[in-house]
Amino acid sequence: MNKETAKNVVVYIGQRVSLTAIALVVLSFMTFTLGQLVPGDAAVVAAGPNAGNERIAELRVEMGLDLPIHKQYAIYLSKLSRGDLGKSWFTHQPIWEDIKARLPASAELVFLAMLLNVLISVPLGVLAATRFDSKTDGAIRLIVMAGAGIPIFWLGLILQHYVAGEAGWFPIAGRVSFEFRDFSGSTGFLLIDSAAQGEWRIFWDALNHLFLPAITLATLFIAVVTRTTRSTVLRTLQEDYVTLARSKGISEYQVVVRHALRNALIPTITIFGMQVGWMLSTTILVEEIFSRPGIGKYAVKAITQSDIHGVVGVVLVMGVIFLITNLIVDIVHLFLNPRHRESVQGK
Amino acid sequence: MKPTIRKFLVPLAALLLPTGVLAGPSGTLVIAENLTPENLDPANSQNSTVDQLMLGMYDTLVQFTAGETTVSPRLATDWSASADGLSYTFNLRSGVTFHDGSALTADDVCFTFDRNQAAGANALTDAGPYDSCNIVDDHTVQLNLSAPFGPFVSALGRVYIVNKDLVEPHMADNHARSWLSVNEAGSGPYVLKSYKPDDSISMTAYADYWAGWDGNHVAEVVFRVVPEASTQAALLKAGEVHIAPDLTIDDKIAFQGKDGYITDIGAAATPLYFMINVQAGGPLSDRLFRKAIIMAVDIKALCDAVLQGFCAYPEGPMPSNWPGHVGGIYPEFDLEAAKKIIDDNGWAGTEVNLTFLPEEEIQQRASEMWQANLAKIGVKLNATGDTWPALYAAAQSLDTAPDAGGSSAFPPFPDPHGILYGLLHSSKMGINGGTNFSQYSNPEVDARLDKAASSADQAERMKLYGEVQEIVGNDYIHVLVAQPASVVTLSDKVVGYKYNVAHHQTFNFMDIGLK
Repeated sequence: MNKETAKNVVVYIGQRVSLTAIALVVLSFMTFTLGQLVPGDAAVVAAGPNAGNERIAELRVEMGLDLPIHKQYAIYLSKLSRGDLGKSWFTHQPIWEDIKARLPASAELVFLAMLLNVLISVPLGVLAATRFDSKTDGAIRLIVMAGAGIPIFWLGLILQHYVAGEAGWFPIAGRVSFEFRDFSGSTGFLLIDSAAQGEWRIFWDALNHLFLPAITLATLFIAVVTRTTRSTVLRTLQEDYVTLARSKGISEYQVVVRHALRNALIPTITIFGMQVGWMLSTTILVEEIFSRPGIGKYAVKAITQSDIHGVVGVVLVMGVIFLITNLIVDIVHLFLNPRHRESVQGK
Repeated sequence: MKPTIRKFLVPLAALLLPTGVLAGPSGTLVIAENLTPENLDPANSQNSTVDQLMLGMYDTLVQFTAGETTVSPRLATDWSASADGLSYTFNLRSGVTFHDGSALTADDVCFTFDRNQAAGANALTDAGPYDSCNIVDDHTVQLNLSAPFGPFVSALGRVYIVNKDLVEPHMADNHARSWLSVNEAGSGPYVLKSYKPDDSISMTAYADYWAGWDGNHVAEVVFRVVPEASTQAALLKAGEVHIAPDLTIDDKIAFQGKDGYITDIGAAATPLYFMINVQAGGPLSDRLFRKAIIMAVDIKALCDAVLQGFCAYPEGPMPSNWPGHVGGIYPEFDLEAAKKIIDDNGWAGTEVNLTFLPEEEIQQRASEMWQANLAKIGVKLNATGDTWPALYAAAQSLDTAPDAGGSSAFPPFPDPHGILYGLLHSSKMGINGGTNFSQYSNPEVDARLDKAASSADQAERMKLYGEVQEIVGNDYIHVLVAQPASVVTLSDKVVGYKYNVAHHQTFNFMDIGLK
């Protein structure tokens, strides 16, 4: 990369970061509006049944609900900039603290599901593409279709009932076994904390608890990526440069892995980036079934209790994570894709 | 199944045995809970998920023993009321200590009442017109009311006494609501060990509890938050939880009579009402029309088909097991007679809007049943599912209030006041921020409810409440659609559990032991 290119790359990254910042502002506006649109009056909810109109009116003032909308938004923004997502009207704790305590459980789940996704979907997609129209391809397509069609909550319940309950191969629910329930560490990530303290039994136990939820969460995403990888690999295999590589007598393995896959992976990585955010929001279904104390379960609780601050907080945090992963994907693209780099250079 | 139990019982036994503790509390009781307790603040004890924890960590002046509808002494050994009914004097038990070892005195009691009042706690709004508290001496308090309130002592079963020394420093922050939401300051039999909302809440036996630990008690109580009913069933089967209160009706029946499990059926008093908005205008303002649509509610079919017989037929506005209940109030289910009323008055084709809460299965099914029956008599029911806060907010204005609303009552103490006042009094009309979604205002009823609330004469009170039920029955303003029983499935290792009608969905910790 010459000096000119390096400069352009910095400019490009700067652009992406500012676009992300703009998207953040839009997101904050959307979450604020969401808070306004959620059915039910926040003051009524906070007051509880039989509180009477007086107490509700008092709370409305206390919560700033009597101010004009633009003032409420300004207050919301200034609080956001200080990392203040408001207080939950149920737990009476700062929302950010609530979310921070639950993020590690969800992050572990998403990480493992993503790992399974990458390890399964890419090889499966390549296999299907290289065996195009064979029985293997047909079988993979069938599995993919099933994976994309099965409702997540149904798959979770079935796995839980048969694989965990009846067969007893995996734990039914929770994040860690009962005997380890008092274990804690500095990061909140059970896998990291237990490994750091050399508690390998707990590490293994936590991993065991993660497995079924991760499979449940990953299935739909594996199906999507397998299909994409298959079609992009298929397309690249028909490109001229692949034909050239083949004519040079390079082994088929080299052709597929070194030449075709590298290019085919670019759209796949884009999808992986978006999937991180989608997976995080899909934890809502999975954590509820497997009773995992994560951000998804928190969201369900906040919604059913009309805890508007809680709902808005979760949406905002998920949105921010989504934006950041996409920013990272954009930057990774730059280094993976020479054509992309050149187009930046040409500006 | 068994290895899992052994997995945690063996290390636990190993912990206990070497110290030679054979008497006293032992074992860990694990209870599944489908809802995350919103917080640990005694001010929110009207919510059963909070109340069930309070019963472990805190004490009250008086309390309802499971199975009874009158109070027994607890922190107060005895009490008396002044002749005008405006002040109550309580003598406090001596030798009671909080979990930090400090003594519980009259000062803590007064602080608790004043804090609840300042914080606008629901626990106290239901305890009537509380005014002030005087410390007579260390072990005597006088509670003063601004108006006489008959069921005052009954209402104290949910006023949990807090440790003033611990709570007072946090009063500046929203009356210590944030602090008490995650901390405990009680004198109850169990001490908060860990509070992980969405995951588990754990309490351990308080060695110096004033009532002592003779008999079979558990050393630790763990609430495990398990939202999915099917997951609760799987955990109960695997022996990972001892009590699974929130199974589906089908699962409850499947466990009933099965080896290794106990099914406890308790007469609950959490009735579901369809309240008809009498101020909605049109035919709904006519009591005869309301009578006809009430006649289309088939309570018995609902009880048998949906609740599988785990229910009662109160035939009146109050649960059948409630003090002061009067039966035979509602018209019999009779579609032919109902259709005749509709046809004779030319009301065929009338549309009625019902808002119900689909999160309660019984409401969904009851709405469908009512819709089908009303269609047969020529009335169209538009049923819409919504959340409780949305229904509550809609009822605050006649422009948005639905023609009918589905709502369950969770009375805070066993007294007619706990149900009838919120259901019928004009000050509790939806438009006044209450739960009287019938928007019903009848001076005759108000006068009797007020008089009964302020009277201490139980016989007179019950007579007044009886009259109220008759009057309301003639006005056709609502129908009690279902009175579901409490059905709790337990492992047969649990002994001593008993349903407490005064504390719905809670556990009588001090009576429960493990075999």
